[in-house]
Amino acid sequence: MSSSVSNPGSHRAERDPRSWRDRLAAGSPDSPDAPAQLNRAFVIGLVGVALLVASAFMSWTYNPALLGNVTLYGNPGTVQIYLLVMALMALFLLLIRKGPLSRLGRHLGRQTGLRALGIGITLYLVIAVGASIALTDDAMLGALDPGVYVGILGGLLVAAAGHLLPTHKAVGERHQRFPAWLEILVVVLLVALALAAAAYGLGIGDPALFVAFLAFVAVIAAGLARGGFFDWLSIVVGHHRTVLLLATFAAAFAFPLTQNGSDANMSIATSVLIFAATAMGLNIVVGLAGLLDLGYIAFLGAGAYVGAMLSESAFATIDWKPPFIIVALIGALFAALLGLIIGSPTLRVSGDYLAIVTLAFGEIFRLTMFNLDGNNGPDLTHGPNGIPAIPELNFFGFDFGATHAFFGVPITRFANYYFLLLLLIGFIILVFTRLNNSRIGRGWIAIREDEKAAEAMGVNVFGLKILAFAGGAFLAGLAGTVKAHQDVSVTPDQYQFLESAFLLAAVVLGGMGTVGGVLLGAVILKLLPEKLRFFADYRLLLFGLLLVLMMRFRPEGLVANRRRQLEFHDDDEALADEVEAIHTEKVT
Amino acid sequence: MSTATTAPVPAAAAQDSPTILSARGVTMRFGGLTAVNKVDMTVHEGEIVGLIGPNGAGKTTFFNCLTGLYKPTEGEVWLAGAELPPKPREVVVAGMARTFQNIRLFANMTALENVMVGRYCRTSSGPLTSILRGPKFRREEEATRARAQELLTFVGLGGKGEHLARNLPYGDQRRLEIARALATDPKVVLLDEPTAGMNPRETEECKDLIFKIRDNGMAVVVIEHDMKFIFNLCDRVLCLVRGELLVEGDPGTVQSDPRVVEAYIGGSELDDEEDEH
Amino acid sequence: MDLLQQLVNGLTLGSLYALIAVGYTVVYGIVQLINFAHGEVFMIGAFGGLTTYLALFQGTTAWWTLPIMLVGAVAASVLTAVVMERVAYRPLRSAPRLAPLITAIGISVFLQELVRLFYGKIPGLPDAKSRLPFPRIDGVTGPAFSIGGLDFQRPALFTMGSLAVCAAFLWWFINRTKQGRAMQAVSQDPDTARLMGIDVDRIIVTAFALGAALAAIAGVAQGLQNNNIDFRMGFMAGLKAFTAAVLGGIGNVAGAVVGGLTLGVVEALASQLGPTAWKDVWAFGLLILVLVFRPQGIMGARVVDRA
Repeated sequence: MSSSVSNPGSHRAERDPRSWRDRLAAGSPDSPDAPAQLNRAFVIGLVGVALLVASAFMSWTYNPALLGNVTLYGNPGTVQIYLLVMALMALFLLLIRKGPLSRLGRHLGRQTGLRALGIGITLYLVIAVGASIALTDDAMLGALDPGVYVGILGGLLVAAAGHLLPTHKAVGERHQRFPAWLEILVVVLLVALALAAAAYGLGIGDPALFVAFLAFVAVIAAGLARGGFFDWLSIVVGHHRTVLLLATFAAAFAFPLTQNGSDANMSIATSVLIFAATAMGLNIVVGLAGLLDLGYIAFLGAGAYVGAMLSESAFATIDWKPPFIIVALIGALFAALLGLIIGSPTLRVSGDYLAIVTLAFGEIFRLTMFNLDGNNGPDLTHGPNGIPAIPELNFFGFDFGATHAFFGVPITRFANYYFLLLLLIGFIILVFTRLNNSRIGRGWIAIREDEKAAEAMGVNVFGLKILAFAGGAFLAGLAGTVKAHQDVSVTPDQYQFLESAFLLAAVVLGGMGTVGGVLLGAVILKLLPEKLRFFADYRLLLFGLLLVLMMRFRPEGLVANRRRQLEFHDDDEALADEVEAIHTEKVT
Repeated sequence: MSTATTAPVPAAAAQDSPTILSARGVTMRFGGLTAVNKVDMTVHEGEIVGLIGPNGAGKTTFFNCLTGLYKPTEGEVWLAGAELPPKPREVVVAGMARTFQNIRLFANMTALENVMVGRYCRTSSGPLTSILRGPKFRREEEATRARAQELLTFVGLGGKGEHLARNLPYGDQRRLEIARALATDPKVVLLDEPTAGMNPRETEECKDLIFKIRDNGMAVVVIEHDMKFIFNLCDRVLCLVRGELLVEGDPGTVQSDPRVVEAYIGGSELDDEEDEH
Repeated sequence: MDLLQQLVNGLTLGSLYALIAVGYTVVYGIVQLINFAHGEVFMIGAFGGLTTYLALFQGTTAWWTLPIMLVGAVAASVLTAVVMERVAYRPLRSAPRLAPLITAIGISVFLQELVRLFYGKIPGLPDAKSRLPFPRIDGVTGPAFSIGGLDFQRPALFTMGSLAVCAAFLWWFINRTKQGRAMQAVSQDPDTARLMGIDVDRIIVTAFALGAALAAIAGVAQGLQNNNIDFRMGFMAGLKAFTAAVLGGIGNVAGAVVGGLTLGVVEALASQLGPTAWKDVWAFGLLILVLVFRPQGIMGARVVDRA
């Protein structure tokens, strides 16, 4: 029994975590040919960066109508400035390995970051620029000017440089610590940057430019992720969680103020928030308790129907109009009750079977709402017509339908709902994280890991599963009551199976069991189709494809929960060491 | 829990103390197969009882009957003066915890978290408490953590709390399972082949650990194949052959019983494999 | 008499469910995978049949076009199922259970959209965004028979006949051919079967193909019965057929047939006793009750509880 306590280095030494390709390219890290290798890669990389910069100053097409005019030499357009930024980042990653910045390289400098950046730049130029130009102009490939080809070559060279760079024995960026104020500053700046990027991105009208911007953000993120930046960030954030939380909410609250009273983006933002709040509730069921729920949308629907039936709408079917707070509570409790009923089979069935049971419940809910129309049953829901004309919310005289002024900035109807939903999602995140970091959360993990062993260790398996179902349903029901007012009407077809699939996809795509990931997944799934109307017809096709590809190549989601990642990659020993090293770094 | 002496308590003294666990006529049939047949067993407080027998003798099946994983076809089990509740979870609450023959840790949790899960049934923070984070929650959470750390130290894993269970060496995983079982505050601990796969030094350490557990007032029941280990460890040994209790007595008696020798030499080649729950 | 008529209707519906349910059950029996996209395989079969007809025999109603349509339908479905298995499911065989299920949802949506968006883009084929009329075939469509006061729709007879032939074929295939026996071996114990020299991958592909072939026949049968098909037809039919498979005992081929027929009759009787609008609710309610109280189904399944 060794006395190795939290020394990730000694773990790393036992197994080589690099892929065979890296080793082939680099030889052994200490072998004499490493400096030559470094020089060669360095030169290739510099040439690549030079080509990228050159490309940014060249013409990309003759057609001035495309991509915000990139026809000029010596005067970069927006999408070319993106390229410049990416080139600078590549230069930075090169210079930390050799030259003036190499002192930083003691900590930074995973060559995978540079490689990912190079590949990303190439894809950016091929898809977001090249394909976008060639597909919109009649001349097809003939519409491309040399600048694009120069850039692609540059991107490939950067990728090659990243590939050829010898593996580098850095101390590891995750050991790098700065004074607390600096770390806090980094967190705050990043959040502010995210807000600025969101406001900027939503302001882009031209879909092609929007796609280019998204590609740009994705490339930068991929470079940072592969370079280990997010590992470091997750440790830093672990130490300053409150700061991140406050900064994020401050940024989110500030968002409507950037919109100058325009409703276009705010209406998208509110629908994103409703979706995200529901997905976060589902995340408790799927991400924490590990139960697959394919009928989750029914809980949102239950809340919405309760909200509608007890509202002041002339079409409301129940003649009792309590204040909204009461309605919200009733909606949530009714959904929770449904959750209890739907959850009760978990006592006897699990896994795939449970998923099908929940799907069947979801369909039963939709069909029931459809049938309670007065012909096939009591008239509670007006069947397929639904309950329309639900009035605006009104809290103590504050009318959600009216535009209010806030320090001279107009706050519109959608912004009003946006603020309310922000509070709601904040509450749901609070519930999620606090449950996760508690005795109950540990019980859920234990159940996911080994249900029988958990039971044999005294964990109340059935109780915890039911709790997840009922708790998740409660939150979705709460969101539903707000949704009814925000949408103005409630109909059964808003709550069909496909919506449940979308919610599940948001959780899976973002990263089960994470807060940031699921928010990101919800934003991607809801925002992109709204913003990219031109592919509205292909939305579902791409959605299906995305699910298949994600499960094949990155089942743990974009933002991986470390433990979840291990569950999906059961035999990856290097990953297990890595996760442990990061964990140790966080707790010390 | 102290980490005091490890000297064996004389067997006679333990047998005078009150009974903590007793099985009466426990029989388990699977279809036509009788895996366990009318086995009686009595365990006193502070006693270490060994359960031996050739492969397929029904040891693990008997264990599973004791821990509520199986409901015995006939017979009854009493724990601390009450009949054994029917579910594994309730058995743990009643004061009996176990380890598994094939280690069943929560692989992707840290060692400390594994032990903290063991505290689940002795803590009570519900969802509301967890969300509101009042003083009660903090107190309980801290106590859980402290107790888990204490138990890790007790089994000799004090410095490894933050390691993932799956990254621990085999011997440490076995100790961690014991720590997790102890976290449930058991009156009786059932260990299913605790030294399987251990080297002699680790086996020796394991023996000391079991003595230490006993010295803290718990009774221990051990299934083992390692005869030397069992005879050095236990106050009393039961030998199971083909589901029936063949011999019971102090280690010396069982060791020298010709039927035990016969069962091991004659029986082991006929039986094929250990039954697994 | 009404009750008897409903029984006949129920058996017709049930035959359709049974044909699709076999696909769920053979695949589950071998890889313990709920191939959620099987409903789409059924839909593709129907479109394969229609395509064959439109490409070769447009305008004819002769009976001999039917077998060739069936061949086209089976080819389309089998190809879809085999590619699906190879590309999407095979890489996930050792992944946690969640992964293949989500993949299946993805495939399901993808295939529906593929047909909706691109079917009409193929030269000579109609746009599939709305319902497409299905060809009429002499002898198989047309006025109903009346025997002893009971009405028998001609397509219904085709459906029931198909089920009878397919069931007999399945029985022969599973019990009398080498492939079929290998299939049984793999479903008992894949690892041992592999050691015994059985090519497990091939058996799995065979299972997918077999299920797809039957689903394709069901697709054509549904087209004949309803006179039209559309890209959405797979979802509900798939869900119902899955219910049937569970009802009979998933993994059990005979159970799928019994389950399908039972479900069909239950639905028909439910429409007889209450408003028709609630018949799907009855079916799903039945599914839940079976899963909760008798997960092994009527006939008993090999694997009861998959975690």
